[in-house]
Amino acid sequence: MTTTQDRIQLLTQACQSHLAKDVLGEISNTQLTAWITAELGHVDALDIFHAHGPLRSRAFAPSTILHIVSGNTPHAAFQSLLRGLLIGSHNDVKLPSLGLPDFEKWIHSLPAPLSGLVSCHSDLTDALLYQAEVVIAIGSDAAITGIHSRLLPQQRFIPHGHKVSIGIVSGDFAEGARLAAKDCSLHNQRGCLSPHAIYVQGNTQKFAQMLAQEMARYSQDDPPQPLSLSEAGAVQNLRQTTQFITANDDRTQLWQSEGSLHWTVILEPDSTLKLSCLNRCIYVKPLPEEITTAALGPECQYLSTIALHPFSNTTSESLAHLPAHRICPLGSSQQPDLFWHHDGYAPLASLVKWKDLG
Amino acid sequence: MSLTQASNQILHSLRTMMQSHKVLDADFQTLALEVFNLQYTHNTAYQKYCHSLEICPQSVSHWHDIPRVSTDAFKVTAHPLCTHDTNSAVRTFLTSGTTGEISGQHHFPTLDLYELAILKSWQQLDLTAPATIVLLTPRPEHAPHSSLSHMMGVLAEHYSSAETIWAIAEDGSMDMEKINSLAERTSPVAILGTAIAFLHLFENTSLTLPSGSYAMETGGYKGTKRQLEKADLYSLFTEKLGLPHSSVINEYSMTELSSQFYTRGLVGPHRGPVWTRTRVIDPRTGTDAAPGEPGHIAIYDLANLYSVSALQTQDIAIAGEGGCFTLLGRDSTALPRGCSRAADHALG
Repeated sequence: MTTTQDRIQLLTQACQSHLAKDVLGEISNTQLTAWITAELGHVDALDIFHAHGPLRSRAFAPSTILHIVSGNTPHAAFQSLLRGLLIGSHNDVKLPSLGLPDFEKWIHSLPAPLSGLVSCHSDLTDALLYQAEVVIAIGSDAAITGIHSRLLPQQRFIPHGHKVSIGIVSGDFAEGARLAAKDCSLHNQRGCLSPHAIYVQGNTQKFAQMLAQEMARYSQDDPPQPLSLSEAGAVQNLRQTTQFITANDDRTQLWQSEGSLHWTVILEPDSTLKLSCLNRCIYVKPLPEEITTAALGPECQYLSTIALHPFSNTTSESLAHLPAHRICPLGSSQQPDLFWHHDGYAPLASLVKWKDLG
Repeated sequence: MSLTQASNQILHSLRTMMQSHKVLDADFQTLALEVFNLQYTHNTAYQKYCHSLEICPQSVSHWHDIPRVSTDAFKVTAHPLCTHDTNSAVRTFLTSGTTGEISGQHHFPTLDLYELAILKSWQQLDLTAPATIVLLTPRPEHAPHSSLSHMMGVLAEHYSSAETIWAIAEDGSMDMEKINSLAERTSPVAILGTAIAFLHLFENTSLTLPSGSYAMETGGYKGTKRQLEKADLYSLFTEKLGLPHSSVINEYSMTELSSQFYTRGLVGPHRGPVWTRTRVIDPRTGTDAAPGEPGHIAIYDLANLYSVSALQTQDIAIAGEGGCFTLLGRDSTALPRGCSRAADHALG
């Protein structure tokens, strides 16, 4: 039986591994302490009872959490497991069919008291599903619906379904293009936090051209992973269809890596948010005068992150009416802070239950 | 040369070709280049596309090099892919898809060539005429924008001496009374419909069709949540209709085409009519997939005279001998998606 302090210590050590650091960034003892305090009120809220109004309350972690993780990026898997380990639950992890090599390596490298809290599985059996007190599912809406339909009423379900992200650039195009290229290229754009479109206030064509240059530069420094047949087909199809449109309508323009499918930038005249086929394919669109769900279209309901450049509290607060749960500086789309509310959930507080005395 | 003169000349050659059992590559090439020239000259949207690729009829010497448009280009309705004024179209067929998806449009100034292509494609199967033909699609007059319903109408008319049963009502319901009446037939029945319609039929009845009967299924499960392996579907044909696998035909086509590709039984490649050619392209290289390797099907359909003959699909296949292909299915990424689709495998 470990205390929260023990686990903070062990996790701080485990997060020094480059496997975790590359995805989660630097994580210190102080940060983990501050995080758990912010979410549960006390760093030892899981260990002892604390005053809670007229009562004394203590948080209890679920005995078992099942994390059903997706294969598009390892980020969500690292985060989800980190949360489960920090509160001291046993963690069953259902891996995607193609696995998550770095994530699995990290699990194998965990110190004994932590590795004993993790089991990996390749099949989602009923037994695995029903022994979990909390089920966290990361995946498409169809996958989430399928999993939800199999749960028992008493099981807690935390879904992270279909999400899309966007960027907004309202000035300083040179830096904005550099940061947008980073956000659109990292993890080959496969994460929920990857922008599908960059909305631009001002000269969209000029920005699109600059973004294309930055995408090329990024690709040179960090070439994308090889594409599967399907992924390559989707990029080719997008390029061919866009080429047809650009040939017939000069308001649409296309920039693409020559001789490869490394990156694609498409300038479109309308503001409706459209899903990219991913793998470093990005739309550039004019920022509507009024940034509303109606102006951005039906995909807006799936917004996860809006990345701004330049970022300011005033601008970000002015966008809080949109469905996105996170508004952050451009360039950090794919690196959410430890404290972030994943899809609006308090990630630690949503896992625990409380017992009250008095 | 005017559009009418040019198309009449090509139409004559095409009709002659469509009567043939075999067409030499050289003859296909000649006509394919003439069709390209016509489409380049009279199909403005296609011409602009070719311009953007810096390709014109003078720069193309092999049918392989005719610029292919993605089937998604038919969804760009502001720039229709047709050689004539869309206002003069006698029929516009629309692609089906999931809710909210934009429909592609295929305009036809005349249906004569299209209907000839349907019949000649079908006749290559060399089937005996049935005594009864059952259509599991809405009647063409109830679904005027459905190319599939139109095709069924053409086939029903072709078998004019057969009893014709349209088993799908205007409201989309299946008339099970009509279906169950087939159990009383003693002469061969042909039953044609979508895979989804057959699944519905199998859930609601079981009967044995007379010897010599056959079925044609098409369309996959696009836009639905239903999925069934082909082997399982064909087992149901045996179990629920008494048809051996060899009596079940699969049709592969799409609204954007005029011709159909067929295969019979569980295994075996799809084969197109003599006025078509196919390639299987590896999208990673843009060139033909290595032998035995999968890629996306590119189709050159000369019966698509009034739109574009060279199409790039997102359907996956392996190229076979003599221009046939083994269809592996619709690429699951063909529709736009957000993140995390890989977790769909979690359900498996």
